[in-house]
Amino acid sequence: MKPLGLVPLKLVPRTEPADDGELIAACLGGDKQAQRTLFRREYARVHATVYRILGSSRDVDDLVQETFIAVFRALPAFRGDSRLSTWIDRIAVRGVFHHLRTRKAAGTISLDAIADVDGGGRVDEQAQARDGLRRLYAALAKLTPEARTAYALYAIDGRSINEVAEITGSTKITAKTRIWRARREVERRAAADPVLAELLELGRESSSQ
Amino acid sequence: MKPTKQIVVEVPTSEARRDRVEREVFARLDAMRDVDHANQIAPVRNRRLPIIAAGFAFAAAAASVIFLVAREAPPSRPSSPSLVVTPAGGSSRFTVGDAVIDAGSDTSVEVKQDPNGTTTLLLGRGTVDCDVMPRPNRAPFRVVAGDVTVEVVGTRFEVSRVGTVTRVDVARGKVKVHGNGEQRLLGAGQSWSSAVTTAGVEGSPATPADRESGGVTAPTPVVTEPIAPDKHDKPALVEEPEIELPAEAARPAKAISPQQAYEAALEIKDETKRARAYRTVANGNHTWAALSLFNLAELQAKTDVGATLKTLDELKRRFPNAGNAEDAAWFRVDVLRDARRMDEARGAAADYLRDFPQGTYAKLAARLVRPSSP
Repeated sequence: MKPLGLVPLKLVPRTEPADDGELIAACLGGDKQAQRTLFRREYARVHATVYRILGSSRDVDDLVQETFIAVFRALPAFRGDSRLSTWIDRIAVRGVFHHLRTRKAAGTISLDAIADVDGGGRVDEQAQARDGLRRLYAALAKLTPEARTAYALYAIDGRSINEVAEITGSTKITAKTRIWRARREVERRAAADPVLAELLELGRESSSQ
Repeated sequence: MKPTKQIVVEVPTSEARRDRVEREVFARLDAMRDVDHANQIAPVRNRRLPIIAAGFAFAAAAASVIFLVAREAPPSRPSSPSLVVTPAGGSSRFTVGDAVIDAGSDTSVEVKQDPNGTTTLLLGRGTVDCDVMPRPNRAPFRVVAGDVTVEVVGTRFEVSRVGTVTRVDVARGKVKVHGNGEQRLLGAGQSWSSAVTTAGVEGSPATPADRESGGVTAPTPVVTEPIAPDKHDKPALVEEPEIELPAEAARPAKAISPQQAYEAALEIKDETKRARAYRTVANGNHTWAALSLFNLAELQAKTDVGATLKTLDELKRRFPNAGNAEDAAWFRVDVLRDARRMDEARGAAADYLRDFPQGTYAKLAARLVRPSSP
């Protein structure tokens, strides 16, 4: 039989929404491409934040996944009181917080799979840096989930006090207090641990550059 | 406060890792939407009547045949193939029939339709991500990449072809893969590669070790059985997963993890069966049990407020720190509001505020607890 006409394909436009409002509206309208755009735009930051609080990659992917499920499920309730990214970070941090609380209750601490501190440098330096990170997260594991989360957001993820307060849903004073307590505990341990002290010193040098 | 200097923690990232998370997120969202949709359109009450499985299967099959015959008539005339080519770094989305296809970067794909309506995508190179309706009683939908044929059972999968190597990743539902002289049935989360000649099916869920490596590379034990050849033109496969365990049997069937049982339950269309499957998974003592209880409550909400509240009570009692505890607390408010039991709804909102003062719904809860004065 002689073919008649081409297979009818319908091209679907894939324009990028211009701002958060358009993107959210498109997501709520069921536009799958917009939902994927939102995911891809926010993924790296959410992943980095979760990783930096936990210090281990064992549970990171699960928590990131849960974060985005919650984001898309709760998106109709987003009222624009804060930036979309802050709102998403809040959901992510709340998930991590619950995870830490549960894990603490279960008495388990995962310190594996700490990434290299620095891609360059000598192998022994990298090994020392990894060891330093293990010790840092061992120290953080002794803290309350609230203090650990606030400190990690501030000292490792590089957020401001205002951001920490906003993301953790606390006042600035509370956020500061938690960070202060955590820092005091970490520095107390560093005083008796040259490897941890070296890591903290590396942080100072790095951020002063 | 003395400024704390930033501690450098490099974050390991990879596209494969991001892609995997993305696939899982959207597969789960799709499954949740299906549940929501089912809840919206299902007015039938769950009365716990004794049910004969065979009778249900027959009724469901008959209903779907009637529905699909009414909806779909096969095309009466053949068409010439359409060719879609995307440049490196570009991508394109198109629909053919009920399928939504995303052609990835540097992809060449030819789309053919037979007189009987069979759609075939001939993948020359690159990647196609296909979102396809379940095929039972619909015209077949296939992707051919070299010697490998992927036939859709339903519903979401990706085929990529680099040189002579073809890879298939299933995000949702099932596909049949014909390649390397064998046939495989792949389920959600599973992958297959023509480069792997033995035990080529990679199971789901990914192990922690897989996650550490940022991608699935090493073959893992086969989790699905090869299926008999020469039947790929007929929808001979049972679409619904087999987790019809009695509630007393707390353990899912052998070789099915709680996660797999949970994900399988999400895809069951029949609500009574799905509720039973949720209950079976919920008998365990793991995250998936908590998720199943929540889903069970959602399923019950339209028809039986009392059962819903009981299930939410059970969830709170057994899994007080579950990841969905906040959602469950707010869901209780919603259910009571919908049932016009406003005093109880306010009480539940107060409980929510007490337990989750910074929660997503805190403002709504506060408004409910303290109605604005005139």
